[in-house]
Amino acid sequence: MSEKFRILVINPGSTSTKIAVFEETDQVFSESVTHPEDDLRRFQRISDQHGYRKEIIMKMLDRNSIELSTIDAVVGRGGLLDPVTGGTYIVSDRMVRDLMEARRGEHACNLGGIIAREIADETGFPSFIVDPVVVDEMEPVARISGMPELERRSIFHALNQKAVARKAAQALGRTYAESNFIVAHMGGGISIGAHRRGRVVDVNNAFDGDGPFAPERAGALPAGQLVEMCFKGEFDEAAMKTRLVGNAGMVAHLGTNDMRKTKVRMEAGDEKAGLIYEAMAYQVAKEVGRCAAVLKGDVDGIVFSGGLANDDQFIDKIREHVEWIGKVFIFPGEEEMESLALGALRVLCGKEEAGTY
Amino acid sequence: MSRRRIFRILAINPGSTSTKVALFENETVRWSEILSYTKDRLAQFDRVIDQLEIRRDDIRDLLSEKKVTPSDLSAVVGRGGPFKPLESGTYRIEESVVNDVKAGRVQADHISNIGVLLAYEIAKEAGIPSFFVDPVSVDEFEDVARISGLPDLERKSLLHALNVKATAHQAAADSGEHLSAMNFIVAHLGGGISVCPIRKGRIVDVNNANEEGPFSPERAGGLPSSSLVKLCYSGTYDYNGMKKRLVGGGGLVAHLGTSDLVEIEERIRNGDERAALIMEAMAYQIAKEIGAMATVLEGKIDAILLTGGMAYADRIIESIKKKVSFLAPVRVYPGENEMRSLTLGTLRVLKGEEVSKTY
Repeated sequence: MSEKFRILVINPGSTSTKIAVFEETDQVFSESVTHPEDDLRRFQRISDQHGYRKEIIMKMLDRNSIELSTIDAVVGRGGLLDPVTGGTYIVSDRMVRDLMEARRGEHACNLGGIIAREIADETGFPSFIVDPVVVDEMEPVARISGMPELERRSIFHALNQKAVARKAAQALGRTYAESNFIVAHMGGGISIGAHRRGRVVDVNNAFDGDGPFAPERAGALPAGQLVEMCFKGEFDEAAMKTRLVGNAGMVAHLGTNDMRKTKVRMEAGDEKAGLIYEAMAYQVAKEVGRCAAVLKGDVDGIVFSGGLANDDQFIDKIREHVEWIGKVFIFPGEEEMESLALGALRVLCGKEEAGTY
Repeated sequence: MSRRRIFRILAINPGSTSTKVALFENETVRWSEILSYTKDRLAQFDRVIDQLEIRRDDIRDLLSEKKVTPSDLSAVVGRGGPFKPLESGTYRIEESVVNDVKAGRVQADHISNIGVLLAYEIAKEAGIPSFFVDPVSVDEFEDVARISGLPDLERKSLLHALNVKATAHQAAADSGEHLSAMNFIVAHLGGGISVCPIRKGRIVDVNNANEEGPFSPERAGGLPSSSLVKLCYSGTYDYNGMKKRLVGGGGLVAHLGTSDLVEIEERIRNGDERAALIMEAMAYQIAKEIGAMATVLEGKIDAILLTGGMAYADRIIESIKKKVSFLAPVRVYPGENEMRSLTLGTLRVLKGEEVSKTY
């Protein structure tokens, strides 16, 4: 039997479930299954899908001759929980209950913890989640907005931000806990966090319309004009909501959320496309500058990640504005499966203690 | 040695319930008066522009009382208003701007609009030139700065341009340089807060103090958009109520019930932790906005200039300095002197240091 830790990773998306097996840092197996709409429609609540998805996962393992007895731990994508500090958490009874009841909201990622625990319970090995989106390490001073009832909240792409910050620390020969980074996760939404000695002390909330605009999201908007728009009578609340999330940002300006299409238009001489592309980079740079002030200029590196970090030209545009702040690291894409496995591994190796929810 | 020429400049600055009038001989103020109006007296006028006649006649009376003959003046300068977007600088007041103000072709009905009408009428009769300097509608944005995440909501350049530019001119002079050679970040810290990157004399971006950026004593600044939309539809506030929450009743007023820094400072000394946190949060947001604007200038910053009334508040200034001094030297120019700024803008043109612009 191998001496390496074997970790099963479960990552439920809205219409699919991804699984992978890692032998320590190496991915030795991965598969994704798409769930037919008809199957999912039978369930009233997303959390009700746990048994259905678990069966499918067990069959996938069986078909690929992966025996549970060879697995040391199972880790699931974390869900919408009460705010927690970053890290790897044991899936506790209380966590399962909160995820089942969807106390903090329904989302497919809630299933990650539930299913991980159910599989783990069959064999007695531990189950974990890692850095859920509700990671909250914000300083009190960062929570205040100009309106007392609208508190700034920490909800962000914590799993990827923390994972790439660790990689950057490693590249510098330091630990995450002794480094200061500015991390920009740039996907359909963009979140940029100030990481001080391993804690994300401030971050723009991409889900609440804060920070740079993104391919599909509006980001921060001029507040007075926005209020005017709400009261004009032209849009009801639902219409305004869809204007801010999903249909805002680049897609609102250019009709596409696809950066490649935007670049094709730019290259064909579409000046509007070029301007919007540039403006997005400009706003990302400004948010990086905000984080630099939060860290008082003590910045070991600026880390770019997420799908948009694949675009060298986009990164270069941001770089022009920010490279004087600190060394730039680029980790394109988002390695969720690996990030989850590494989080579990840190606990199995004794490098980190698992938190209790 | 040639004899230094003395320019005599009359500066006129209409506020909501008063008109400030001052006479300068070059940089030196000879006298300064405030003509006050009761709200009752002004209540008879529907539009602020209708106050033109009484305000003009009162200035004329003041001048004869002071034994000032308008034709002995070199120029009259009036406060500029929210006109159409304009480059920064000193503008000759001509029919074009007068007509726009009279016809309401301005961005807002604000009392400062009549500053140019007052200056123009007094100067015209005397056959001398009149000017306005750096109105709030100064717009030197690069196109990239105009874009927000929604096409219908363009980022607009509206700012405390008069004080921002005057402070920048002063800081350049203090360095023995001309503003056109300098990069600054200027933070005007008043009831509203404007943080602007100045590249070679041009104000290329700014948080519009009514719309975004740090919260300030009376304004909310930037807010999370989705939560704000939810609040708009909650039925708690009507349109005017919401507007009030953003401007006038936001920021320190909303959190602490007052915008009086002296009172807040007293509360902090007496152990009010909430007050201390809110003040620190305001400084924190100002520092973040300065950091944002530093990236606009690609880190090439000669100095950070803190100005406006709040620049007298040591606690805030020290807190901001701690966070941004890594960017560039921080210099503090407390207060704002609109009359002097108007006059200096006019002098630059009269002395031939700057060419006046055409509206």
